[in-house]
Amino acid sequence: MTSGSKTWTLLCGLMLSLCANASAPEDAATARALVASLGRPAPASTPFAEARFMKMLERPLVVSGQLAWLGGDKLERTVERPTREVSTIADGEVTQQREGRSSRSFSLKRAPQLQLLLDSFVALLGGDASRLEQAFTVQHSADGADHWTLTLTPRDAKLAQTVSRIDIDGSGNEPHCMRMQEADGDVAIDLLGDYAAKMPATPTRDALTVLCRGS
Amino acid sequence: MRRSRLTLLLLWLATLAALGLFVARYLTVSTDLRSFMPAPTTPDQRLLMEQVGEGPGSRLLLLAITGKSDEQIAALSQQLAVTLRKDERYAQVLNGSFDIGTLDDALLPYRYLLSPTLDHQPLDAAYLRDELEQRLDDLSSPAASLLKGLLARDPTLEVLKLAERWSPPKSPEVVQGVWFSPQHEALLLVLTRAAGFDPDAQAQAIDGIHRDFDALPDHAGASVVVSGPGYFSVVANAQTRGQAEWIGRISTVGFIVLLLLAYRSIGSLLFSALPIASAALAGIGALVLLFPQVHGITLAFGFTLLGVAQEYPIRVLSHRRAGESAVESVRELWPLLLTAIASACIAYAAFFASGVNGLKQLAVFTVTGLLVAGFSTRYLLPYLLPERVHDVANMGWLIRARRFVDHLPRPRWVPLLVAVATVLMLVFAQGPFWQNDLSALTPLPRDLLMRDARLREALGAPDVRYLLVLQAPDEQGVLALSEKLEPAVDALVARHAVDAVELPSRYLPSEALQRARQQALPDRDALTHALADAEQGMPFQPGLFEPFVNDVEKARNLPLLTPERFAASPLGQRVSTMLMPRDGHWLGLGTLSGVHDVDALQTLARDSGGAVRLLDLKGAAESLVVDYRARILHALLGATLLLVIAIIVALRSVRRAWHVLAPMTLATFLVLAVERVSGVEVSLFHLVALILAAGLGLHYALFFERDTGDAAEQRRTLHATLVCVLSALLVFGMLAWSTIPVLRAIGLTVSLGVAFHFCLSILMAPHARQD
Repeated sequence: MTSGSKTWTLLCGLMLSLCANASAPEDAATARALVASLGRPAPASTPFAEARFMKMLERPLVVSGQLAWLGGDKLERTVERPTREVSTIADGEVTQQREGRSSRSFSLKRAPQLQLLLDSFVALLGGDASRLEQAFTVQHSADGADHWTLTLTPRDAKLAQTVSRIDIDGSGNEPHCMRMQEADGDVAIDLLGDYAAKMPATPTRDALTVLCRGS
Repeated sequence: MRRSRLTLLLLWLATLAALGLFVARYLTVSTDLRSFMPAPTTPDQRLLMEQVGEGPGSRLLLLAITGKSDEQIAALSQQLAVTLRKDERYAQVLNGSFDIGTLDDALLPYRYLLSPTLDHQPLDAAYLRDELEQRLDDLSSPAASLLKGLLARDPTLEVLKLAERWSPPKSPEVVQGVWFSPQHEALLLVLTRAAGFDPDAQAQAIDGIHRDFDALPDHAGASVVVSGPGYFSVVANAQTRGQAEWIGRISTVGFIVLLLLAYRSIGSLLFSALPIASAALAGIGALVLLFPQVHGITLAFGFTLLGVAQEYPIRVLSHRRAGESAVESVRELWPLLLTAIASACIAYAAFFASGVNGLKQLAVFTVTGLLVAGFSTRYLLPYLLPERVHDVANMGWLIRARRFVDHLPRPRWVPLLVAVATVLMLVFAQGPFWQNDLSALTPLPRDLLMRDARLREALGAPDVRYLLVLQAPDEQGVLALSEKLEPAVDALVARHAVDAVELPSRYLPSEALQRARQQALPDRDALTHALADAEQGMPFQPGLFEPFVNDVEKARNLPLLTPERFAASPLGQRVSTMLMPRDGHWLGLGTLSGVHDVDALQTLARDSGGAVRLLDLKGAAESLVVDYRARILHALLGATLLLVIAIIVALRSVRRAWHVLAPMTLATFLVLAVERVSGVEVSLFHLVALILAAGLGLHYALFFERDTGDAAEQRRTLHATLVCVLSALLVFGMLAWSTIPVLRAIGLTVSLGVAFHFCLSILMAPHARQD
């Protein structure tokens, strides 16, 4: 009997998690509430540490610095380590400035990853759920503890050919991680806020995923 | 009798219809200005003629897209560029987006021979290490996605360096990936294949742009504007043609009303149109037979000059007497009419001696036309005219008018006074005598010019006035010279003497330089080693740069890139327009943008010892016009002599000839003097108009000089002359009100001429004084 009730509890738990994953109507509402709670007034900035895993590289590239939302569609990404570089996304243009070199700029159109980064980041920091839903289909999942994950899939078929999805992990009203899965298999994982300090010296995909999931 | 009239009419109309069909079938009208110009004599003029049509500057169209958000017009700019690039009519389309396709796959290994990197930097381990470190930084930056596809094949980003080198020297700001002006317009540069000053071909190219734009899915709400020399030639052409047409329509109606009032017979009016129609068709027919192509300007000038022939039927109609058949009236009038026809033919035939193709055509057209109009007036028209007519001689107003004219005081000093006044006016008139700038005659609306200047500035598009001309024994010599010139030119740009200079070597280095770069490329082993050294401690996957190593190996064994080989690509065609063979040597053209200091450029040319010249296209064009005018003036001088002889022979009296020629000559110079005093600068068009006016004036003088001893006949002469004068004033007076200087030049000159010729012919007519 005990074993039977145990099975039932397990089954129930499984069912629950399944329910949570299948974005039910109330789930969409939860996601909206969550996104709204993430909003903060511009300008807002957060430290970040990014590990980029690429097929053409044996080891990931790791950089860290500050990510700032300057209001509107303006983002500033300041890399402090290993070399200082400031990139600004504003008015459809990306401008890169690296120490000791002339700045260069290119259209946001040519960097779909950045377009998506901008869309998701600005929507999240602005607490703007409808903007987020315009650009992505949003799935929300939460596990037992305070931890949640928003899975964003680009609605634009062309963009989806380069970025297949973005996972944002967090707890409470604090996002911790942003994982951008590119269609060619490359992944960029950004640790945000307090988590930025937790970047291991030699990160691996699995270790970071575990870290992001908050376990 | 009635029957034979109908047969004659039908035969005449059938002949006209057949001629019309022949002309419509075989006439090819050329609008290319060059075919109307005289053969160039100096090297600069020859280059000008080519540049006017083929030069990159004159074939460049500047486009601006406006009306929607930046993002939307940037997308439109991209789509338009893609469509236009597929179109045969456009040699090059640039909109600021870096397109790796500018160097197609087969040419991609050539990047190591085209880029200046290897001139100062071997592909060794240290250099590769530095580049690879930069690439790692790039990969962790937002630009990563741009580089991912390129990295394995081109880790030193030679393609980007070339793209930078080939983008216009002073390129506009890039927003949303395409060029934008400060006024938020998306900018494009389109190089047409059609010659710049061929308005028809340019109209097609511009039309194609608008059509392609209108076919874009999201074009609604946005608009594209076009500017550039080709566009201007289209605008000027359309403007002139438009005004000439509506003025022509109004004056045609006025002309018909005038003739109806004068002769009160619709039949006479319709029949009198036949000689002119025959003249025009026969004239074009002769051109079609003799010349492969007829120039549009020939036809325009020709129809103007043919205005003289309108007088022939008018004279016949006015000189008909009651009870006399038209044939008898014409027979009496014919000797004088023949003199008039012959003298006009002599004047116009002078154009044939000018040696300029366009003017030769003009002579053939007008002489044929005048002869056909004259002889059909003599031998065909009278048989068609109604039997019974209304004799104008007995009209009350005409009797009073003749009496008034006869009683005008005619002091002998009048011609003298007019002559002295004319000379004084000519001597003391201010300003330059000749107008050599033909474009001043078809000026463009100010806002169009301002817009062109603004777009040109924003795009850094080349100046259409100045060109650097490089000369060497062969193609490679030109490229080498161009390379040698680069440092001096860069210095000029740095000094702001000129905003930018585009030399042929910017696109294609000489074979010598390519060979040097090729020899500087490491072989496969050396490169693999250098790369391995450079990659030490870097996270790149082993073997990642295999495509790079392959390309370098390929580049080492490539045949050098010649202009012919390069011409297969769009960029190569750009180079082809900058290089041309000429009389056993080669010329290279360097385009200049934003010329601030012409002297500095001239110094650069002087220091080259003759290998480099600064060509002022405006100066060359004006010298061409001066040549042109000299030819016309020479032809006129010859014509005048012939005319004097012809009139003396025809009238068999020097004294009578003097009475005909003196008022005509005096009136012609009076027109010139009055225009000069009013500040008019005399152009080719004024000269042509003066010739027409002189032709008309000759008629007035000939008829007024004729002493028939018959008062009624004198009245008929006055009637005919009045109808002629009024109709000429009507047609050309209307043109004089045009806002377009070229039409105004013709209209004003002929109107003034007709008025002066008429007054002076009357005042200087010899026999009236006997009253």
